[in-house]
Amino acid sequence: MSGAVRRGEPASRAWIALRVVVVAVYAFMLGPILITAAVSFNASNRSLFPPRGFSLQWWGRALSWEWIDPLLFSLKLGLAAGACSTLLALPLAFALVRHDFRGRTALLALTLGPLLLPALVTGAGLLQLFQYVGLRDSIGLPALLCGHVVICLPFAVRTTAISLQSLPPNLEHAAASLGAPPWRVQAHVILPLIKNGIVAGAVFAFIHSFTDVNLSLFLARPGETPINVKILGFLEFGFAPTLAAVSVLTIAIPLALVIALQRATGLGDFLYAERRRD
Amino acid sequence: MSRKGGSWLLAGVPALFLVTFFALPNALLLTVSFLKSDAQFLTDEVTLDNYAFVLSRRLYLEAIVRTFAIGIAVGVLDVLIAYPLAYFLVRTRSRWKGLLIALALAPLLASVVVRTYGWYVILNRFGVANDVMLALGLISDRIALMPSSGAITVGLAHALLPYAVLTLMGGLDSIHPNLERAAMSLGAGRLRTFLAVTLPLSMPGVIGGFLLCFSIAISAYATPAILGGPATQVLATAIYGFMTQLLDWSVGAALAVILVMSSFALLYLASRLGTRQVAL
Repeated sequence: MSGAVRRGEPASRAWIALRVVVVAVYAFMLGPILITAAVSFNASNRSLFPPRGFSLQWWGRALSWEWIDPLLFSLKLGLAAGACSTLLALPLAFALVRHDFRGRTALLALTLGPLLLPALVTGAGLLQLFQYVGLRDSIGLPALLCGHVVICLPFAVRTTAISLQSLPPNLEHAAASLGAPPWRVQAHVILPLIKNGIVAGAVFAFIHSFTDVNLSLFLARPGETPINVKILGFLEFGFAPTLAAVSVLTIAIPLALVIALQRATGLGDFLYAERRRD
Repeated sequence: MSRKGGSWLLAGVPALFLVTFFALPNALLLTVSFLKSDAQFLTDEVTLDNYAFVLSRRLYLEAIVRTFAIGIAVGVLDVLIAYPLAYFLVRTRSRWKGLLIALALAPLLASVVVRTYGWYVILNRFGVANDVMLALGLISDRIALMPSSGAITVGLAHALLPYAVLTLMGGLDSIHPNLERAAMSLGAGRLRTFLAVTLPLSMPGVIGGFLLCFSIAISAYATPAILGGPATQVLATAIYGFMTQLLDWSVGAALAVILVMSSFALLYLASRLGTRQVAL
């Protein structure tokens, strides 16, 4: 293609019409989230849009310990779930990608199962399990952590597996032929090369945990309630602008995390990788 | 490369974890659905009463039908809305392409609760939708747009849209633009090119996007809880009700089994249709 040609859009009426539709779709997509943000600045005590007057009082309440506590709890839970699922995903991905063994298909089904089975159902099952084996006291953080690791694991395995699959197997042979013992091959050659996949998996796991509602519903208890379950519980009593402010606050954490890590690891490549054409 | 030794040594701990905290609770739920229960306390009497109870009450039959009707509507809406956006994002040569893709997927960072809150502000009796319709003279008095199945459908379609965009982009990206150019150079108009070339080739993405949105929608709890009410129960809210308020775990388990089995039936149907797997 000639370099002089402007890298423009296919200029035609159809393309312009498409752009109009696309703007409308973005408005549909982002509108309700922006409305929620706007509502939190209401001077009124109802969730009105456009906001009546301007006030920061709801933000003041959102930043009180009543809401900061569950926010920190979700953060703690998400970090623990992210770390645990990453640690479990690593050997799992190695076994699934690099090994061929009896029961591999069953293991694959077990690993991907949480993607297919509704988290709501797993949550209900976990509640019964903990109750019936007499671990009623573990409902709360321990049960939530187990459940979150289950539903986050497929995401962590997936990105790690994608990284592993894209490695040329010769690399290991090369390192081994130069005399590196197997553990050194893994630690010094393979791990650094799949680092991005591991980090991306951890981030997806964290976000999945942080935004989960369906599983946490069943396993939370007072004082050990993820922020979104707590917001949901309060919504039953009314839609106070405080909840809008808290809602906006919950977007900020995963957003900051993604922005911070996007440049470092190319997170987006694992979500949507553009195909290369030659 | 295939190695045999040590595979289970490697996968043993994660496998054990998944068996304990994923397979076991789900198997327990399946078992409990066939047991007679006295509140939370199970007896060892095997029975089909839990299923008979659910399938003979109009309330729960309606909840099942409503759940799947909403799921299908959400799947169709999301594919229709996401298609033009996905096509644009795949084909555009704008320098903002990366940012636009990020913007389309950003709602995934917000939980469904957050994404649904805005719809309450829009749809409630004193909300934006009523204001606009009053101003336009479409209605003379404020009307109740929620709680309703329609409100749940719109809220879920909005919440799950990024999944459809992501799946459709994958499908559309595998169609080489030259195929469209070839069709047009042979005299086909834009519409004919789209209907004869682009659309058929993007069908795996369309079906994949539909299935993904459908299967998340039928088990969604938060949106139906916020935008629906007692008269618009879906399976997820009914399961939650039985598990935590009515404390009839056997019936709750039966409802959960119905939810899982019907979504599996659909995935099986999809694999028979020869679509590519959505996951991994």
